[in-house]
Amino acid sequence: MKVLVVNNMAPFIWGGAEELAVHLERNLIIAGHDAEVLRIPFQWEPVQSIASQMLMVRAFELWNVDHVIALKFPAYLIRHPNKTLWLLHQYRQAYDLFDTGQTNIPDDATGKEIHTIIRAADHEAFTESRKIFTNSDITKQRLKKYNGFDAEVLPPPLNDPELFSGGKSQGYIFAGGRVNAMKRQHLLVEALAQAKPHVRLVVAGPPDSPDDAMRLQSLVEQHGLQGRVKLDLRFLTRRELGQYVNEANACAYIPFDEDSLGYVAMEAATARKPIISSSDSGGVLGLVRHKETGWISDPNPTSLAEVLNLACCDTAAVQSMGHAANKLWSDMNISWPATIERLLS
Amino acid sequence: MKIAICSSFVPFIKGGARNIVEWLQDELVAAGHQVERIYLPQVDIPDLLLPQMAAYRWIDLASSADRVICFRPPAHVIPHPHKIVWFIHHIRVFYDLWDSPYRGFPDDEKHRHIRAILHHADTTAIKEAKRVFTNSQIVSDRLRQFNEVDSEVLYPPIIKPERFHCQHFNDEIVYVCRVEHHKRQHLLVQAMKYTRTNVKLRLCGVGVNQSYIKEIEEMIQTLKLANRVFFDNLWISEEQKVQIFSECLAAAYIPLDEDSYGYPSLEASHASKPILTTKDAGGVLELIKHNYNGLVCDPDPKALAEAMDQLFTDREKTRKMGLNATQRITDLNISWKRVLERLLA
Repeated sequence: MKVLVVNNMAPFIWGGAEELAVHLERNLIIAGHDAEVLRIPFQWEPVQSIASQMLMVRAFELWNVDHVIALKFPAYLIRHPNKTLWLLHQYRQAYDLFDTGQTNIPDDATGKEIHTIIRAADHEAFTESRKIFTNSDITKQRLKKYNGFDAEVLPPPLNDPELFSGGKSQGYIFAGGRVNAMKRQHLLVEALAQAKPHVRLVVAGPPDSPDDAMRLQSLVEQHGLQGRVKLDLRFLTRRELGQYVNEANACAYIPFDEDSLGYVAMEAATARKPIISSSDSGGVLGLVRHKETGWISDPNPTSLAEVLNLACCDTAAVQSMGHAANKLWSDMNISWPATIERLLS
Repeated sequence: MKIAICSSFVPFIKGGARNIVEWLQDELVAAGHQVERIYLPQVDIPDLLLPQMAAYRWIDLASSADRVICFRPPAHVIPHPHKIVWFIHHIRVFYDLWDSPYRGFPDDEKHRHIRAILHHADTTAIKEAKRVFTNSQIVSDRLRQFNEVDSEVLYPPIIKPERFHCQHFNDEIVYVCRVEHHKRQHLLVQAMKYTRTNVKLRLCGVGVNQSYIKEIEEMIQTLKLANRVFFDNLWISEEQKVQIFSECLAAAYIPLDEDSYGYPSLEASHASKPILTTKDAGGVLELIKHNYNGLVCDPDPKALAEAMDQLFTDREKTRKMGLNATQRITDLNISWKRVLERLLA
C-alpha cells in the first residue's frame, strides 16, 4: 500500500514530531509498504493567517496515494478518502490553552471568528477521518471534551528497543532525559543528600538552558556529593544512553504531570529496570505500580531518599521488580509492527 | 544561510525533477548552509490547477528562510522577498503543447480562460523573482516567448560526477533511462534490425507503462534480436550504472522533444563516451554536437542503424568523440561550483 504520512513543518526546526514521522515512514517500509512524508509549512503567527493556511491545506490535491496518516493541525485537514489521524495535538491555543488564557487568538470579533473557523474545520476533519488515534490519554480526553470525538490511545513506540537489552547492575540510579525544572532532576540530587552512603546517582541528558545545568552543579557542590553523583549534561548518543540504562540498578523519572508514558520510563522497562516516579508525574504512572514495577514517591527529597535507599541495591527483590516492569510494558504491546497494524486497520 | 528549496511532486514517483532538487540540497548542505526541502503535491488536472496554485501562494516562508529557490510549477508562485526561480518546465499543455495531441481537453472558452489566468499568474510570479534561471535554452526561449521574461541558462549537473570514468569500449550502445514511449526505446530496437556490424544494444530501466515494456520485449523476440539486444528491465544501482558506462561503446539518448539534455547524456559524457541522439530530441541538442561529442541523426531506424554501425566500426573516432564529450562539459561550465555561485549570487 502507498501510505503518505502528512505532518506540519516549522521550517528549519526539527523536533519530536519530525522524528516520529520519520520513524513511522521507516517502519511502514519495514512492514512492506511504500511510504513517504509530506511536510506542510505552517506558521501560527500572525494569527490572522491561520485561516488561509487551513484553506491552503484543504486545497492541496493528492494523487497516487492509498492511505493518509496525518499527525497535526492543520496538516490533518488534507482531503483524502482514506485518512487516519494519529493526533499528536490540535491547535491547543483554540482549546485548553484558550481556556487558560495562554493563546494568541485575540479577545475580539476577529478572534471569535478564528476560533469558530478552527473548531468547525476540526469537526469536519474528524468527521471525515476513518479512525482517530491519539499519542496519549490527555490528547484523547481533550478531543472528547472539546470536539466530542472518541479516539484510541496509541503511544509512540520505542524506536530502538534493541539498545535497551538490560544487563548487570553497577550500583547507581539513572536519571536520563532532558534536564529542566519540570523534569525535576534537582529533587533527586537533594534526595541523595539525605540517602544512605551506598546510593549513587547518574544524571545524563541535554539541559534546556545553561541555568538548568548550573542549578544541578551547585546543588552537588553545596551538599558535597561530588563522589556520589555523575552529571553528564549533554546530548548523548542512543548507544551511550542505552549503556547507562542497562547498567543501572533502577531508573528515576519524576517529571511534573507528563502527558505520556515517557521514553525514559519505556526505556527502563525495556531494559528490565524498576522505575522510580512520583505521585504527580501523570502519564508515567501508567508504567509504575508501587513496590511492583518500581516505586511511587511523594515529590519531596525526604520521601525520595527512602526510595533511593531501597532501589540502589542489587537484590533479588529489585531485580524481580525490573522483570515485572518489563512484563507490564510488553503486555501493552507497544511496538512498531503492532502500531502500524493498528494505524492501517 | 537558511535556504528553502521548493518544488512540487507526486508522492511515490521518483525521477529527474526530484534529482535536481535533492542533489542541490546535498551540495548546499556540504557548503555549510541550512536547507529545508519543501515538496508539495500537485495534480495536473485543468479544473484543479488554479486552486492548487492559490494554495502554493499561501505558503509563508518570509520570516523563516533567508532565500527560497523554486523549481517545478507551481512552486514559483510561493512568495518571498528573496525568491530565486530555477525553472525546469511550464505546464506545457497550456503552453507549447496546446496545439498538440498531448492537450487532452478541448480548445474551448473555459480552457482558454484557464490558460489566460495561468499565463498571467506564471508571469507575475516569475517576475517577482530576484533571478530567473532555467535548465536549458529551450525553456529560456519559452519563457521569453510566452511570459516575456529573460532568464539565464544554468545547466544542472549530476551528483558526484567524478564517479564516472572510462575503462574500455565494448560492443554495446547503452540506453539507461526510464522505459517510456516518449523515450523511444523502440526506435533503437527497430534500428538493430538494419545494422550490418556486430554492434549490440543494452536497454536499462523501468517504466510505469507496462504495455510499452511488453511491446519492447515482444519486438526483441519478433525481430530475433535476443542475442544482440539486452533488456535489463530494472532500476539499476548507481554502482552498476558507473560500471556500464565505463565499459560501453557509446550511449544513446533519443527522447522526443525533451526540455533538457537529460542526465543520461551527462553521465555518458563524464565517462568519456559519445552520445547518439536524434534531430528531434529537443534540449539534448544543446549538449550534443554532430560528429564532435556524438552523432545526431534522423529519428528513424535506418538512420540510427547507420550511426550505430559507424560507432562500432570507426573506434578511433568513437574514442575521440568520447574525450570531446568530457571537454564539452567543461566548456559549458556544468558544475556544482558554478550552480552554487549563480544561485547564491
